[in-house]
Amino acid sequence: MIWRARQCALASFLLLAALLTPAVSGAREYLQLFVTEPYLELHTGPGRGYPVFHVVPRDGSVDVLFRRTDWFKVRTEHGVEGWVSQGDLQKTVLADGSAFHFDLGDRAGFTSHHFEMGIFAGAYGGASYVSAYGSVSFNSQLALEGAVGQFLGRYSNGVTGDIGLIHIILPEARWSPFLTIGLGEVHTEPKATLVQTSDRNEPTAYVGGGIRFYLTRRFFLRAEYKAHYIFTTRNQNEEADEWKAGFAFFF
Amino acid sequence: MESRIRVLLLTTALAVLAGLSGCASVRNWFHRSGSDTSASGDNPDQNAPPRVIEPEVARRTITVPRIHSSNLELGLSYGALSIEDFGTHPSYGVMAAYHVTEDFFFQGEVGRSKAGLTSFEVLSNINLLTESERRFTYYDLSLGYNFLPGEAFIGRNFAMTSAFYILGGIGGTDFAGDTKFTVNFGAGYRVVPVDWLAVHVQVQDHVFQSSILGATKLTNNLEALIGTTVFF
Repeated sequence: MIWRARQCALASFLLLAALLTPAVSGAREYLQLFVTEPYLELHTGPGRGYPVFHVVPRDGSVDVLFRRTDWFKVRTEHGVEGWVSQGDLQKTVLADGSAFHFDLGDRAGFTSHHFEMGIFAGAYGGASYVSAYGSVSFNSQLALEGAVGQFLGRYSNGVTGDIGLIHIILPEARWSPFLTIGLGEVHTEPKATLVQTSDRNEPTAYVGGGIRFYLTRRFFLRAEYKAHYIFTTRNQNEEADEWKAGFAFFF
Repeated sequence: MESRIRVLLLTTALAVLAGLSGCASVRNWFHRSGSDTSASGDNPDQNAPPRVIEPEVARRTITVPRIHSSNLELGLSYGALSIEDFGTHPSYGVMAAYHVTEDFFFQGEVGRSKAGLTSFEVLSNINLLTESERRFTYYDLSLGYNFLPGEAFIGRNFAMTSAFYILGGIGGTDFAGDTKFTVNFGAGYRVVPVDWLAVHVQVQDHVFQSSILGATKLTNNLEALIGTTVFF
C-alpha cells in the first residue's frame, strides 16, 4: 500500500516537473531593457554576495527572463545569462526611453499592495492556536481576508475558517492599526476520553482589531484579537477569544 | 537711367517670384508687406484657416511583456523519522516554500510516517496503539533564513547556487489518536542545479508534549529528509 502511494507520488511529481519545465524554459517574449548607466553588473547568483562576472556597457540591452525575490535573471545580446539586482535594474530604460517601473518591496509597498500572506501562533478559547491567512486588497485601506487555523487544547481540538473585511486605519504609518469583521465556521472535536460528545460544525461571526508593524523589505509583524461568537444548536451561544501574533509579507 | 532700368527689372522679377505658389518665403514677404492680395488674389481658399494634416497612421499600442516571478517552490520529500520511543521509520511528504527576499522564506510541510513498537510492547507482547493510531502525520508552517548562501561546483564548468538555511515554526502532529501542538526547528542545505529545480537535504526536530506512555513529557522527533522541489 505504501509502495503504491510512493509510486503515485513519484509519478505525479514527474508529471508536475514535465508540465512546468516548458513554462520556465520555453520560448516566449521577454522584456528588453537598455543600459543608461556606464555599465550594468551581472552576478552569478541571486544574492548580494555572488560575484560580478560580466558587465553590459552603456546603450547595450538585456532581456529579462524572470524574477526571483529582488533579483532578475537577464540575458545579454551575446547570450550571456546572469542576475541583476533590483537597484541596478531600476536605472535601465525601456526601448522608447521611458523609465522601467516595477513593484519594489519597500515601505511604499507596505502602504499599498495587492496581496498579503502570513502565519501566526496564538490562543483560541484557551487552546494553542496555529493559523495562516491571505488577503486581497481593494485599496490601501480595505481588504478581503481569509484565514484558517487549528486549535489544539486539553479538552478539544478543532479547525477554524474565517472570511471577512479588514479596514486599515493608518496605512501609511509604520505602526498601522486595523479593525476587522467577518463570518466563519468552527469544527470542534471534543476529546472522547474526557467529554462524551460528538464532533460538530458551527457557524461563527467575529469582530476584532490589531496592529501591523513594518519590519523591512516585504515583511511585517502582525498581532490581533478577534472576539468570536459561536452560534450553537444548544440553549446558549458560545464565545471564544482569539489572540495571535506572527509574521506576514506582502506582494 | 541705368538705376531706373535696374529698379524696373527687379520689380518684374519679384512679381514673377511672388506668383510662384511653391516659394513660401517670397510669398511671406508680400504677406508681411500687405500687398499679398494683389499677388495671389486668384486663390479662393486664401481666407480659410490653415489646414491641419491628420496623420492616417494608427497609433500602435505597445504592450510591455510581464516579468514572470519565480518565488514559489513546490515538491516532494522522502526521509526517515525517529518517533521518540517508537523507533525510526521512513517518512514522506509534500513541501512548499515562498521566497520573500534573498534571505527569508516561508515554508510549509505535510509529512507522514508510521510508528513501530516500543520496547515495552516488544517485551510484553501488548499493543498500546491500534494500526491507525500508529500513523504519524504532521504539518508545519515555518520561517526560514538562508544562513550561508554560496555556490557549489561540480568539476570545472558547472556551478550551482546553494544555501545553508535554518528554519523554525509551528504546526500540529496527529499521532496516537490525538493532535498535538508542535514546535519544529531545523536546518537544511539547498542546491539549485538549474533555475527551476532545487534539491534539499534537511534535518528537523518536531517537538510536542506527549503522555502516551503514562507521564507527560516533551518528545523530540527527529527527521532527516531529501526533497526535490520545482520553482514556479
